[in-house]
Amino acid sequence: MTSLRAALLRLCGLFPGARRDRELSEEIQSHLQKHIDHNQRAGMPLGEARRQAFLAFGGVEQTKERYRDRRGVPAFDVLRQDVRYALRTFGRNPGFAAVVVVTLALAIGVNALAFGVVNAVIFRPLPIDHPERVVFVQPNVESEVSHSFPNYRDLRDRNVTFEGLFGYRMSPMDVEVNGDPRRAWGYLATGNYFDVLGVRPAIGRFFHEADDQKPGAAPFAVLSHDFWMAQFHGDPSIAGTIIRINRLPYTVIGVAPASFVGTEVFFRPRLWVPMMMQAQIEVGNPWLENRSTFNLMVAGRLKAGVSPVQATANVNVVAGSLAREYPESNKGLSFRLTKPGLLGDSLRSPVQAFTVGLLALAALVLLIACANLASTLAARGADRAREIAIRLSIGASRGRIIRQLLTETLMLSSAAGAAGYLIAYVASAALSTWQLPIDLPTRFDIHPDTFVFLFTFAASIAAGLIFGLAPARQTSTVDANATLKSLDGATGRQRNRWPLRDVLVAVQVALCFVLVAACLLSLRGLQQTLTMPVGFEPKGVSMVGFQLGLGGYDRSRGMAFQQRALEAVNRLPGVDHAAFSNSLPLNINQSSTEVFPEIPSNQRTSRGRAVVPYAVSPGFFDTLGIPIRRGRAIEARDIFGAPRVAVVNETFARQILRTSDAVGRRFRFEPNAPPIEVIGVIGDGKYRSLTEDPQPAVFTAILQRYDSETTLVVRASVPEDQMVAQIRGALTQLDPALPLHSAGSLEHMLALPRLPNRAAATALSAFGLLAIILAATGIHGVVAYAVARRRREIGIRVAIGATASDVLRLVVGRMAALVAAGAIAGLGLAILLGPLLTQVVYLASPREPVVLAAVGALVLLVGLIACWAPAVRSLRIEPVIALRQE
Amino acid sequence: MGSKTDVWQGTLALMILKTLETMGPQHGYGIARRIEQTSGHKLLVNYGTLYPALLKLEQEGYIKSAWGVSDNNRKAKFYQLTKAGRKQVEREAREWNETTAILAKFLSPDEV
Repeated sequence: MTSLRAALLRLCGLFPGARRDRELSEEIQSHLQKHIDHNQRAGMPLGEARRQAFLAFGGVEQTKERYRDRRGVPAFDVLRQDVRYALRTFGRNPGFAAVVVVTLALAIGVNALAFGVVNAVIFRPLPIDHPERVVFVQPNVESEVSHSFPNYRDLRDRNVTFEGLFGYRMSPMDVEVNGDPRRAWGYLATGNYFDVLGVRPAIGRFFHEADDQKPGAAPFAVLSHDFWMAQFHGDPSIAGTIIRINRLPYTVIGVAPASFVGTEVFFRPRLWVPMMMQAQIEVGNPWLENRSTFNLMVAGRLKAGVSPVQATANVNVVAGSLAREYPESNKGLSFRLTKPGLLGDSLRSPVQAFTVGLLALAALVLLIACANLASTLAARGADRAREIAIRLSIGASRGRIIRQLLTETLMLSSAAGAAGYLIAYVASAALSTWQLPIDLPTRFDIHPDTFVFLFTFAASIAAGLIFGLAPARQTSTVDANATLKSLDGATGRQRNRWPLRDVLVAVQVALCFVLVAACLLSLRGLQQTLTMPVGFEPKGVSMVGFQLGLGGYDRSRGMAFQQRALEAVNRLPGVDHAAFSNSLPLNINQSSTEVFPEIPSNQRTSRGRAVVPYAVSPGFFDTLGIPIRRGRAIEARDIFGAPRVAVVNETFARQILRTSDAVGRRFRFEPNAPPIEVIGVIGDGKYRSLTEDPQPAVFTAILQRYDSETTLVVRASVPEDQMVAQIRGALTQLDPALPLHSAGSLEHMLALPRLPNRAAATALSAFGLLAIILAATGIHGVVAYAVARRRREIGIRVAIGATASDVLRLVVGRMAALVAAGAIAGLGLAILLGPLLTQVVYLASPREPVVLAAVGALVLLVGLIACWAPAVRSLRIEPVIALRQE
Repeated sequence: MGSKTDVWQGTLALMILKTLETMGPQHGYGIARRIEQTSGHKLLVNYGTLYPALLKLEQEGYIKSAWGVSDNNRKAKFYQLTKAGRKQVEREAREWNETTAILAKFLSPDEV
């Protein structure tokens, strides 16, 4: 207690108190006076009495100093002095301080932004109750994330380790508000979804287990907060309102809180509908009772005290029995538990690799900035050698000098940190509101939180220490005697060594080389993904999508409509080819199905193989420009009643039918379904993502296998946006009430799969540019400093007959050696760090000699340019003027 | 000399408190004189060292101070014990006695 009290009083004592100082003086004065009186009474003359009193008291000023130390906290007093001194120093040279703060602010801002992204997509838990107890149940199969509904139901009922296990699925719906149908993406979610997550409604109620029992009998909707605000203007009496989804009435029973935006990091649902409405939401594709359709994401909350290991063991016991009971659809079934939010770990690992790689490169930028500032500071430190020598000679300790210098750099880096955080804040706010140019409501919420703030703070302190410590140490080793005696003393001792600032230039060049190499390699990677064969020719193709089931069409009317639409579009001017299908390669809604050999030869092959399925109309391959390698395309004769046929890609032929000539071979979609004959083989393409390995794909005839989900594709000689408008017009004439979606060019659709590379290339270009600027200013600063410093020397050399080339060799030669050394080190580093880069950018290869050579040339060029101005200045030195100056 | 100063630093606080307990409110010079007299003029250290010690005790709440007028009509700052200070004197005196008693046993020649 007493020490706390003393500490508080001492803290109060920090504030300068002239009054308290006066009081102390008076007290000491009174003390001395009494002693003098006393001495006089003892018979001393006044002079002697005074002398004795002062002698007995000891040094008055020392006493005051000790008293003041006791009154405040010495460390704080010193800090206050240092800060005040630093501010004066900055005031004398505001340009320098500004350059340091701006440079560092950019570098820290880049880091804060990159960390903000990592934080938001990797670290930040879902906004639910005890998120650490919620796990995602993932099948133990490469790139598979979903389950069949019957499997989910059995797993939910038979496991003993989960408090609750829920299923969900993202699904597009036609939501009609005030007679205006709109495509909105939402979740189909099992009844226990909200209860297991522990989310409470903002308005009304959520649906529960009991609401979600009978198929088709749960017409309820829960709206997301932003959908409620946007579509219903935040109407507080929304609960009980009837809205139409896919033309059927649903009751809005509640609104989710603003903080809860579903269970996937990148997806922002507009509404939630009970799972039992699946057949009504995904019209024409009921799968709730189909054990072979894996469409459901499953996650759950572990019971208290159950470890993930126990739960994994438990769900795998269930998986084992499900595999025995339903061998045809569950053979080899097993599960693992992963962190929810990024579709288990299927998105997590690439996203993690990407963002962490980005953060590492951002850290590199910060390092370059630190090296840059350290070299500038070291040069400046040499200038301050006299100042420091004077301070040392009047009694400052070296520790105190280092402390003073570090206070200066830490002040600069803190200011830069604050500015950098601001930059990151503004940039991430802008990025967060950005929507992908697609229908799917994406979510990219990277608003910085406390975590990001702490990171930024730590980064700026670390930066201050890094770029301040080395020069501070160097400066504080100044030999006060030598410095004060000679005009050029500080550098005298170091003339034959490589001074720190020179080494730092080489470091900067090396790091800059790495970043620029990363930037150029990734740009090449991007260029390759842009020009990479995707298996079709997107240029000149337009698309428009519609869902006939939602439009109230039954099968026969739907088929008739598809035909009429195709004919109408074919009549439009400029159309070369037109076709329709249920989906397009690389579009967001890819599905997966299993195929089986015609004759199950043995147990090993009786398990189905996953393939990407499409149902397409005649003319589809011509329209997309997909080459037919063998056999024929889907044609108008492949209709209901005719033999079932399919076209497969080369990978399908090779991997599943084990032949290069698959025409005439047959396979099945179910072990007991009728066989389907392969009539043609097409070239491979990309189906789910640009980065996938070759996938088997199958194209069936949509005229034999009706699908109400329709995408019209049109290849035309008119520009795509005009074409899209014309198609829209033609379709509206046929049915004005039919909602259209995904209208645009195919190139536009490809923006999504190309996004990761584009983002990486943008970020890396920014980093690379920053690195070049930093390296250039760093080299320039050091050369300019060297020239300014050696004016006299150069003047003398010129006076005794040095030629221009001698002077240039003197000024630039050393720098050229440094830049070359840095570039070589950078080349080595770039090759070493290559694997990191390939994680960030698909197709980026770390060993492209042309690119590396180009980077080397670029770095040398930048070094040359940076040296240019100071070198020219050195040539203009007039010996007479230079020598007179000192 | 060094050892003497160490003793002075370590025990000054107790000496001040004890002095104030015996003599009542007292100014700095008075405290210094009294300590010197009590020690039989064996402790000869600068009076100036007294003031930071007084400040420390005041911060810790064992003494309080107020300006007053001394016997010869001069303005002076008077220090006096607080309630906490009285307890502290007792406690420290007891601890000191125990310590010295133990040390005495070690140092007394008739032991062994």
